[in-house]
Amino acid sequence: MSKTIKIDPVTRIEGHARILLECDDAGKVDEAFFCVNELRGFERILVGMEASTLPQVTARICGVCPTAHHLAAAKALDHAAGVEPPVAARLLREFMYMGHVIHSHALSLFVLAGPDLVFGLNGPAATQNIVGMVEAEPELSKKGLRLRSLGQKINETIGGRGIHPVTAVAGGISFRLTDSQFERLQELTAEAVVLSSELAGRTKKLLFDLFDANPVLLDKLNVPSWYVGTVNGGKVNFYDGELRVIDESGSVVTEFDSRDYRDHIVERAVHTSYAKEVFINHGGGEHMYRVSTLARLNVADGMETPLAQAEFEEFRRNFGRPCHNAVIQMYAKLIELIYACEKAHELINNPALRGETRVPATFRGGRGVAHVEAPRGVLIHDYEIDSKGIVRAANMIIATQQNTAAINKTLKEAANNMLTAGDDEAMLNGLEFVVRCYDPCLACSTHAVGRMDFEVEIRHGGRTIRSLRRK
Amino acid sequence: MATALILCIGNDLVADDGAGKAVHACLEKITLPAGTRLVFLGLGGIDLLEEINGEDLLVVVDAVQLGAAAGTVHILDWQSIPVRQPRPVSGHGIGVREAIEVGRRLYPEKTPQRIFLVGIEGACFDQLGQAISEPVAAAIPVAVREILLLLR
Repeated sequence: MSKTIKIDPVTRIEGHARILLECDDAGKVDEAFFCVNELRGFERILVGMEASTLPQVTARICGVCPTAHHLAAAKALDHAAGVEPPVAARLLREFMYMGHVIHSHALSLFVLAGPDLVFGLNGPAATQNIVGMVEAEPELSKKGLRLRSLGQKINETIGGRGIHPVTAVAGGISFRLTDSQFERLQELTAEAVVLSSELAGRTKKLLFDLFDANPVLLDKLNVPSWYVGTVNGGKVNFYDGELRVIDESGSVVTEFDSRDYRDHIVERAVHTSYAKEVFINHGGGEHMYRVSTLARLNVADGMETPLAQAEFEEFRRNFGRPCHNAVIQMYAKLIELIYACEKAHELINNPALRGETRVPATFRGGRGVAHVEAPRGVLIHDYEIDSKGIVRAANMIIATQQNTAAINKTLKEAANNMLTAGDDEAMLNGLEFVVRCYDPCLACSTHAVGRMDFEVEIRHGGRTIRSLRRK
Repeated sequence: MATALILCIGNDLVADDGAGKAVHACLEKITLPAGTRLVFLGLGGIDLLEEINGEDLLVVVDAVQLGAAAGTVHILDWQSIPVRQPRPVSGHGIGVREAIEVGRRLYPEKTPQRIFLVGIEGACFDQLGQAISEPVAAAIPVAVREILLLLR
């Protein structure tokens, strides 16, 4: 008899971020947990599929960073097939990626986090959106939105589609630039460089005003941790390089190839969340670490491009190395946005970009591992592929899961400071702001409802004693 | 000559969210008045601003959940579109009304003067791979007629 098994993915991706606060007898927060329905089963779904489809299929994991998954998968396939893509393919992939980073960072900075910058933390709710932002800062918003759009156009031209790109394949990229695209993209990247440098001054002013008005931000959100990010010749790189690890004092602990990640990174399932917690395994101990923009700037010695380098130097002078403050993430994002614009402009003006874009790639059985820096941090794809080219096992290390331990620790600090104040609304706002500073990728899981459905549960001795929910 | 843009939004993989796509398919088969451009967008949001180009009339077509019976066709002047209250956590959280307000402030020369939302009330938005429901399917020709009236 046939049986219909219905897997309803919509319920599993329900946009629901939950914070659990476990209190001790004295009412102090003992442990805090940020819980996400992040795991959507992709590591299982991929098993049995043809490996050549991985760049297209994994791009669908996320509408926020599809290009990161697309390229991590293509690079893992290069590795599995034992091929090195031609120079032009590498440059085109990186160029597509810079488009994606511009898009993602501009959206995050000017549309999603923008209202925090412009109105501070206690602004009226009605202004806390893009419309309020546009009214208050029309020029900044216009430039920010234009940058987002330029990034999207770059990503779309090279990737073949605006959101989920399709062109990167094992052995290169199935795309070549036409003369008119070449010229048009040179104009667009030149515009992006100008826009990003024009935006920098005003954005920094807003940030520093926010810090001045809320000294508690710089004071209370310092959670020391280790950091992991990609460097190429010591400089920040999104597409390729070594993974550098620094400790909480800023000393470089080690650098490794992502192919050896299992020697350095341990994953552990936890009872409070679908996302596994991840630690750096070093010197016989497990160390909490963070990834993403702040981590990249903390591990790097500098930026490859001149405007971004100048900003980087100012950043380091002001905040030191490493900077442990999650709020500074927004500043770091601005510097990376400038870098991505400059890097895109450099890449499109490289004549080697017009060369051969593919080499043949076949799978003879074996493992393929690679990584990129997703906008939100290190993203590793690891596949076991058999001699027929079928995926036998898949593992992914996602940015947000690497930050979970640090988010939990920051929430604990913040909650202990805010619980005593006794104002529920202020506490919800404060905890939500903390979460937003880490910029976790909840977008996939929340787009159906379009809001952060947010709940804080306070427990003692395994019993829920209070539950706070935004009305 | 008056110009118009018809922007259909939706996802035909998700039950009643396919309403905009269904309307788009019908309109493709009709000869529309000269000066009318028909565009399909998977998502609305601020990407809507990439499509407008100073037309006299903009008609946005999408499935809606305004609390009416499934299959109800709403014709709303853009100012009557309900405001989204909570701040968005992703680009998906920006609606038609917000996009238009941004457009009017930042790109007044590109933003059409007359803007209407033709919203088709749906019932089911959480089933992947399902067709649009019967009342919504029945509302498609009604929506098409309303759009043609707006174009007159």
